[in-house]
Amino acid sequence: MLLAGTLEFISLNVWHIVMAIGNLLILMLILKKFLFKPVQKILKQREEEVAKIYSDADDALAKANEDKNTYEQKMMSAKQEADNLIKTATERAKQESSEIVAAARSEAERRLKNADEDIELAKRKAADEMKNSISEMVIGIAEQVVEKEIDADAHSALIDEAIDSLGDMYEK
Amino acid sequence: MSDISVSGAKILFELPFGLTISETQVNMWIVMAVIAAICIWLTHGMKVKPDSKRQIVAEFLVKTVTNFVESNMGKRFSGFTPYVAALFSLALCSSLLSLLGMYPPTSDLNTTLGWALVTFVLITYYKIRTSGIGKYLKGFTEPVFLMTPMNIIGEMATPVSMAFRMFGNVASGSIISTLVYAGLAWLNQAVFGWLPGVLGDMAAELPILQLGIPAILSIYFDVFSGVLQAFIFCMLTMLYIASAAEVET
Repeated sequence: MLLAGTLEFISLNVWHIVMAIGNLLILMLILKKFLFKPVQKILKQREEEVAKIYSDADDALAKANEDKNTYEQKMMSAKQEADNLIKTATERAKQESSEIVAAARSEAERRLKNADEDIELAKRKAADEMKNSISEMVIGIAEQVVEKEIDADAHSALIDEAIDSLGDMYEK
Repeated sequence: MSDISVSGAKILFELPFGLTISETQVNMWIVMAVIAAICIWLTHGMKVKPDSKRQIVAEFLVKTVTNFVESNMGKRFSGFTPYVAALFSLALCSSLLSLLGMYPPTSDLNTTLGWALVTFVLITYYKIRTSGIGKYLKGFTEPVFLMTPMNIIGEMATPVSMAFRMFGNVASGSIISTLVYAGLAWLNQAVFGWLPGVLGDMAAELPILQLGIPAILSIYFDVFSGVLQAFIFCMLTMLYIASAAEVET
């Protein structure tokens, strides 16, 4: 069986041609199954993984942006709230201060008015006293002049009138 | 010098019905087994994140062949990638077997003719599919009916020339190697045989001159020519098939 002979240098043999074609096709299947399929599978998986990583990154970015927006909104509302607080506090303080000032002013005015009234009263009192003392003095002088007691009660009206006119004249 | 003989593959087994298994087939099976083993070794335990050089090599091979096929034939023929890869690797490794002193299956005309016939069948299939059987047959009678035999010969010349080109290159390499080796043996005997006595007999038997020169020659005939012929065969297969599938205007 072994070494049953040698082929011619150039010999055509249909069986050997068929074998050559068959061997080539078998090797094609071997390469397909053991090299191309596994490598292509890995390449595809890698592609999918990369795509997944990219989409994950996109998602993370979107979420970060969303968080940032929420944060900014919150910050904005907090700022607004603080502004409002300050504004209302300022307004209230202003109002209170103006109320206090107004109260103080009215108090001062009231006191001033009281003081004026007191002054007026004292003035009038002093004028009255002066008037009385003048009339008494006048009556005394007149008594000495006429050496006669003037009926003070009877003449006091007259004298007052005289003094009033005196006073009026003086005031003018 | 009389013992130089050029012969084809040795017949290793005889099967019933007169079928034979020669060195060509057995060596081709060895090449196929080695290629399959390399493929399995390269692709086992592959990960999405490559952590081995094997995987990088496997991916590089697949991507390179795919790009090569797609750039020569177009994206719609990317299904041909495994066929071209098989053709190239089988042709290349078969030719390189001669480096190991084994009979290269590509120096058997049956092998190269078989592969060329596959190309021929594919060319014809795509021509018929593209332009229809009627137009394909009518194409043989153009430009004038008299040209029909010429056209048929021209069509047949494609696989025949492909088969003989590869066979001729590889087989001639073996022949030249054999001749050079025999010539050097004769020269060796002629040079060292003059030495006197036992010394001369011993020196003549030792293959001193055969040491370096055949190796240099085999770099050209086995390595360079093997790579080039495998490449040319694949290139022609791809270009013929791609041009056959182009719609003629």
